[in-house]
Amino acid sequence: MAFNILIVDDSPAMRRVVRRVVHISGVDVGALLEAGNGIEALTVLRTEWIDLIMTDINMPGMDGEELLQEVRKDPLLSSIPVLVVSTDRSESRLQQMMALGAGGYIAKPFMPAVLSEEIDRLLGGVPHASL
Amino acid sequence: MQACDLLPLVPKYCSEVLDAMFFATVSGWETLAHLPADKIEAKPSLNFNLHFTGDVSGHFVVSLESSTAGNLAANFLGEDPTALSPQEVDEVVGELANMLCGSVMSQVEGEHKFVLSHPGPVGDQSSLSTDDALICVLETDAGAITVCIALEGEPCPL
Repeated sequence: MAFNILIVDDSPAMRRVVRRVVHISGVDVGALLEAGNGIEALTVLRTEWIDLIMTDINMPGMDGEELLQEVRKDPLLSSIPVLVVSTDRSESRLQQMMALGAGGYIAKPFMPAVLSEEIDRLLGGVPHASL
Repeated sequence: MQACDLLPLVPKYCSEVLDAMFFATVSGWETLAHLPADKIEAKPSLNFNLHFTGDVSGHFVVSLESSTAGNLAANFLGEDPTALSPQEVDEVVGELANMLCGSVMSQVEGEHKFVLSHPGPVGDQSSLSTDDALICVLETDAGAITVCIALEGEPCPL
C-alpha cells in the first residue's frame, strides 16, 4: 500500500534532497507533497490524506514547532506521525520537540540511510489511512 | 562569549556537514584576524548571511566562489553542475549556510531556543575584514569556503 508523505521545509534545495532520499528508500510512495512553511502544510493537510509529515523547524510564517502543535490538537490530524528534520542539534530542542509529540528527530547533516530508517520506523508498514 | 570561543567548533562541525551532505572533504583550515588582501581582491561571488538568536546572537556569513558553489550544489543535489541554474545554486548555498550555522551554533547549549533567520545574499566579502569576528577558511576538494561569525555585543562586520 502506498504512503502519502508531506515534506515541509522553506529550502527548495532541501526539499529536493529529501524527496530523492524518500524515492531511493524503498518506501512505497503514493503522493509526495511539499510545503514551504507550517501554514502551507496545514492547507495541504486539510485537503489531502497524509501518512507522514517531515518538517524543518526554522521556517518563516509558521515554524515546525507551531505546525506540530497545530497537528497534535486537531483530532483529524493528530495521529499522523511527524518526523522533525532540523539543523538544530541541541539536546534541549530534541527533547522539546519529542515532548510536543514528534515521532522522531533527525539533525542535519544526516546520512540518507538514517532518514530512510526513520521513515520506515514511523510508517511501520501501516498507512495512516488504516489506523 | 567571544567569537573566538567558537573556534574549536567551526572546523569540526563544518567538516561534518560538508562531508555528509555535500560530499566535500576538508583538507585543511586556517583562522584569520583579517582576510588577506588577495582573498578580498578575489571577491568570491557568493556571500550568504544569516542572523541567529538565542543565548548567543549574531551573524554567520558563508563566502565562496561561484565555481565552488556549483560543485557543492551538484554534489548536494546529485545533478550535473552544468544542468543547474544560478537560482538553484543560490538555494543550495543558502541551505549550506543554514546547515553550517545550525551545526556550529546549536553546540552552544543554553536556556533559550536558538532561531535562525532565512539565509540571504550579501554584497561583497570586503566587509568581513574585521578584528571582531572569527574568520575561518576551509580548504575542500570542491574549493575554499570562508566562514565568518560575529557575535552581537561586538561590532558587526556587515
